[in-house]
Parts: sequence; C-alpha cells; structure tokens
Amino acid sequence: MVVRLSRRSLSLAAVERRLRTARSGGVVLFAGRVRPDRADGRTTVALLYEADRAPALDRLRALEAEARRRFGARDVVLYHRLGRVRVGEVSVVVAAACAHRAQAFDAARYLIDELKATVPIWKEERARPARRPPRRPGRRAGRSAGSGRAR
Amino acid sequence: MLRPVQVHLFASARQLVGQRTVRWTVPAGGLPAREIVAGLERRFPRLGPTLRVSRFLRNDRYLADLEETVRPGDEFAVHPPYGGG
Repeated sequence: MVVRLSRRSLSLAAVERRLRTARSGGVVLFAGRVRPDRADGRTTVALLYEADRAPALDRLRALEAEARRRFGARDVVLYHRLGRVRVGEVSVVVAAACAHRAQAFDAARYLIDELKATVPIWKEERARPARRPPRRPGRRAGRSAGSGRAR
Repeated sequence: MLRPVQVHLFASARQLVGQRTVRWTVPAGGLPAREIVAGLERRFPRLGPTLRVSRFLRNDRYLADLEETVRPGDEFAVHPPYGGG
C-alpha cells in the first residue's frame, strides 16, 4: 500500500523497496522526525498524532494521484504515524520516484507541503518542564526587592 | 424516534469541550450546518474561536458551505487547522 496511516514505526527500508521502478531515474524520499527543541525552553519528549482516518486516507490518495498527474511520478509513498511518536522517531515519510531528479524533488516537496496543510492529522506535544537555571553563587534572593519589576 | 447527529470533535476542539463526540438532535428535515455550528458555540462558548478557523465534514465529506443540510443520523465532524508532519 502506498498510502498508510499506522501506529507502528515506519521502516525506511520498506519504503525504499516500494520505489524500485527501473524506469525512474530520480527518487526523493523525505522523512520527518520528532525533534526535542521547543521555543519556550521546555523539551519535547514525544508527539501524539491523531487523524480523522477516512477523510485523511481519501486526501492522501488524492495527493498521490495529483503527484502522478502533475509531476509524472511513477511511484509515490505517503506514510504517517499515529499515536505516540517519541523524539528521534520518524513520524512521516513521503517519497516520489520520477523520470528525472527535478520532478522527483518537486513532487516530494509538493507532497509534504500539501500533507501538512490539507490532511486531517493533528499533533499534540508531550514536553518535559524547563530546567531551572543554576543559582549564581554570591547573589542572595531578594537582593533587589522593591524594584523587581523596574524597566 | 429520530437518530441524533453525532458531532465528532478533533484535536483542540475535543480538548476544549472535554469529549470526543457530542450528540445533537435535529428535526426530521434536518438543519443547515451553520445552525449546528452556531449551536455548538452557544453550548460551548470557549469553542467559538476554534470553530471560526475549522473545516466541517458531513459523513466524511467536506462541506462546500454551511448551508448544506445535516440530517438525523448523519456524522458531522469539526476539523481544527491541521498539523501533521
């Protein structure tokens, strides 16, 4: 199956096996992984993904068809994880095999951009609280009491 | 007896309401989707801002507009902005 929503980990080797069309001179595979950094200083430990399954699969199939039509893609893979995905694990894979590399890059870019914007999948972060900065020696708490909000 | 509409809430909509599915009673001839959306906002005022940026589906199909009729037994879904990847 070239379009899949799964709670199981995604194997890039399995994706690659689906892209062995001999006539395709360019294969681009993009894998998105969960990263730990957050803007607020907290550390992400996992993402929880959910989907509205039937319309999500319909939309993924439509993207596959559009990549074939628009970029001449001969093989397309669209996989997305659901459920809890830990930092470092692959959450999404898009791949396109085309006659030439330019088409394959364009198709893969189109697929990931459209997937993020138009497929009913959502994520929720699970984060570890920010660590307190270490105390600086020689500075006592309350030293600037009375002017704490100056500026 | 009329079957209610099942309103399925996803992501932030579910978190704001605190439940995954809400049962909604509609008359036998149905209601325009906009009346269900307005009713959801009256019942769950915190949901208002999310509803204004959401997409809506009836029986797994995106609504072309909120004038489409939702009938007893239909499934109605609220999709907040997507965030896969």
